[in-house]
Amino acid sequence: MLRFLLRRSLGAVAILLVISAVTFFLFYAIPRNPALLACGKGVCTEEQLAVVEHNLGIDKAIPVQYWEYMVGIFAGRDFPAGHCPAPCLGFSFRDNRPVLDTILDRLPTTVSLTVGGAVVFLVLGLGFGMLAAARRGTLLDKTVSSTSLVLSSMQIYFLGPLALAVLVYNMGVLPQPSDTAAFTEEPWEWFKGLLLPWLVLATIFTANYSRMSRATLIEQLQEDHVRTARAKGMSRPTVFFRYAWRGSLIPVVTIFGIDLGSLFGGAMITEVTFSLHGLGRLAVDSVTQSNLPMLMGVMLFAALMIVLFNIIIDACYALIDPRVRLA
Amino acid sequence: MSMRTLRKGRAAGVSLAVAGTLLLGACSSGGGGGGGEEEEGGQESAAPEELTAISFGDEAASTGPAEPVPDAQPGGTVNVFEDVPPDHLDPAQIYVSHEQNIARLIHRGLTAVQLDNDGNYTVVGDLATDSGQASDGGRTWTYTLKEDIRFADGSPITSADIRHTFERQFAPFITQGPTYIQQWLAGTGGSDYRELLPEGPYEGDHLPDSVLETPDERTIVFHFDQPQNDLPYALSIAGYAVVSDEHDTREAYDQEPMTSGPYRIAEHRPGRSMTLARNEHWVPETDPTRHAYPDAFEISFGHTQEDSTARLMADNGENQYGITFSNGLDAGNGPTVMEDPQYRERLVDGYQSYVWSLAINTDTVTDVRVRQAIAHALPLNGVLNAYGGSIGGQYAASHISPLLPGHQPDWDPFGKLAAPQGDIERARELLEEADAVGFELSYVHHTAAEDQQAAVAVADALESAGFEVNRSEVPPETYYDTIGVVDGGYDIYRSSWGHDWLSAGTVIPPLFDGRQIQDGASNYSHLDDEYVNSEIDRIRGIQDAAEAAAAWVELSEHIEQELVPSVPGFAYRQTIMHGSLIGGAVFNDDFGTVDMRRIYVIQDAD
Repeated sequence: MLRFLLRRSLGAVAILLVISAVTFFLFYAIPRNPALLACGKGVCTEEQLAVVEHNLGIDKAIPVQYWEYMVGIFAGRDFPAGHCPAPCLGFSFRDNRPVLDTILDRLPTTVSLTVGGAVVFLVLGLGFGMLAAARRGTLLDKTVSSTSLVLSSMQIYFLGPLALAVLVYNMGVLPQPSDTAAFTEEPWEWFKGLLLPWLVLATIFTANYSRMSRATLIEQLQEDHVRTARAKGMSRPTVFFRYAWRGSLIPVVTIFGIDLGSLFGGAMITEVTFSLHGLGRLAVDSVTQSNLPMLMGVMLFAALMIVLFNIIIDACYALIDPRVRLA
Repeated sequence: MSMRTLRKGRAAGVSLAVAGTLLLGACSSGGGGGGGEEEEGGQESAAPEELTAISFGDEAASTGPAEPVPDAQPGGTVNVFEDVPPDHLDPAQIYVSHEQNIARLIHRGLTAVQLDNDGNYTVVGDLATDSGQASDGGRTWTYTLKEDIRFADGSPITSADIRHTFERQFAPFITQGPTYIQQWLAGTGGSDYRELLPEGPYEGDHLPDSVLETPDERTIVFHFDQPQNDLPYALSIAGYAVVSDEHDTREAYDQEPMTSGPYRIAEHRPGRSMTLARNEHWVPETDPTRHAYPDAFEISFGHTQEDSTARLMADNGENQYGITFSNGLDAGNGPTVMEDPQYRERLVDGYQSYVWSLAINTDTVTDVRVRQAIAHALPLNGVLNAYGGSIGGQYAASHISPLLPGHQPDWDPFGKLAAPQGDIERARELLEEADAVGFELSYVHHTAAEDQQAAVAVADALESAGFEVNRSEVPPETYYDTIGVVDGGYDIYRSSWGHDWLSAGTVIPPLFDGRQIQDGASNYSHLDDEYVNSEIDRIRGIQDAAEAAAAWVELSEHIEQELVPSVPGFAYRQTIMHGSLIGGAVFNDDFGTVDMRRIYVIQDAD
């Protein structure tokens, strides 16, 4: 297992290096000068522009900038606006703050949104899926299946504003979404602030997971080893959970890993819809503000999350099915 | 703004879906200016009462505390929903409107514009004992600091701080703030002013006493080569608020400034939220303009216009204490709010400072008849509809906004107010007279949806009149840099200009002074007319504010009618909503938004 993880980790580092290089050159090669944005009323002389470029660290050749950027991640960097300690992802063009500070400031919101939403949609999704599979063909199964079909076609940008308008603004049964309270300091406020986004995320994702887990569970229930277990006289719950359910988890884990990675990378539409300040929102703002260091930082962080979750998924495969370790 | 960071004076049109983030306007719910009935096609007026000039207050007028707002109650917390967070908190870097809104609560300058309960505006002394004592025909201005004025740490504000405030404006790292007073002190335009003190005060150099004098701890004397009778106005903008000499951390000051206003920054999560709490060292008796009724302001950022409008319409829970300084109504809910009394009574609206106009490059479109043809053909209705119709603004025939002293609401040299669809026939006649049918126009606009939509209407009309139009698109963030290049090769382009204070002296010279033609400057038409240049100098020397206002309007009309370097389109409108437990909300013409200094939390509502 250790070798397996080591191999995957090395591959991940290589992928991140490629992503960082491609992203950096793609962003920094575009024909626009961020220093112009910092020239206020547009009265910068060439000398003034040079000072701004120096302050932003963009007065060198792009390969040199990339090298300094990568070195800065491990060794830190000095900018005219101050020292950026390792792991340094650069200074924001907008407010002269270290990029990592902002990312770390936004991370708790994204983690809260993602983990909370995932717990809700995983529990509900797998629960409904199991119920439907266990009661295949019954009214319950048909209800779950048809409801899932409708809900899985929903999108955040439709369901989110609708839920806000009905549940928060008109009926007032749910509190206003907010990410201003920290879990460690005001857990109840934190819970109230994120409840609606969790429910909306859960509504959409639950439908997918219940459909998927139902289908794979039904498939597993028809497998030979499950039939054999039944024939041996094992109890229904034992057969269901020990043989069928475990086998049905692999596709669920795969999709869950991808969803979780994407959500950690930044659930842009969710955050914008509910005025939350996570990494997704940060990425959107960075694009509109041409804030390349911030965008680069968020992209790298998102890539890291996706790669990391892929490794975790692979490890889970190996735990669920030992044959994977040998592959 | 949507938006993002918009440059004061130039960029109101950047991605404003309705009446966006930057503003200055008349009042329909108290405050300065007249009331407003609106609707139907942007032609109805929310115009302010005609204003001849803002008066300059004496020592009595500059003494605090500010005149109480009727029924106001101290205490409570105001929730502010904003879209764009401030990038800068260092006064010297503050120029865009949404940053000024916050700055007015935390920073103080030598002067401030006071809005009284009757809607009158007066430039009064803020840190200074009065609005300033002019001598030598307006070339020398003397200010005396009040007693008991302090920074948030309790340290007294002295003339050394004021000297430092202005000297650091010349430092290389200051790139975003206003440049008026630096240029006046240096006696030069453009960016040449920096040569007066290239490193600022940080290398031990200082402005000579012949430029800026501080003979004692409470006295500051400005010396200019030319009369600068707008100085009291200029000093009132946030960019010239005081910076602590002792606590100046240069670039880092932008994140943690030493404040001097009634509030200090208790918590700042960049891009996310800001909490303003009381500055215990602020003495109301020294402040004639700020009431500071609420105990705190909780400002959160990242609220789209749709989101802030929905929250304020809902008016439930914490939203009852909500308001926005900059977010206008969103296009979807705007008409409902304007028409439904339950929402309308919680709305203050007026004009932003900005006037949309189509600049014409007089270097390439040299025949005035061709420029007149463009003016006649321009379809104001097509343009304004792209910016949200009547919620977005009101047709304008002059670059001088309806807010400015001397504005002539009925002046309409090309009949645009009466016929906003334009006069294609007259345009074609003028082109034929000039033997210029088929004249090729290179038209640049930016990629924001409103600009694109407006550009289609403009191009269609011009082509109908006999022009050939070639359109180019430029991203918003580099748009003004693109059109600011003198030899950029474009013939017509959209530019939105707004005044920095309530004087056309911040409109006509930046737009039409021929001596300010250079890359990056704002004379986009490249108009260089001897009469115009000499008139600008003459009017600047007029000490009587009302007389100067009238002279600016006269010059503006001459330029717009006879020289036609630019065709106005509409004056941007601003719409600000608030929750039902917010009191004292009035529109401030000087700020172009609600006057956040006067608002209070209603705490004894049943």
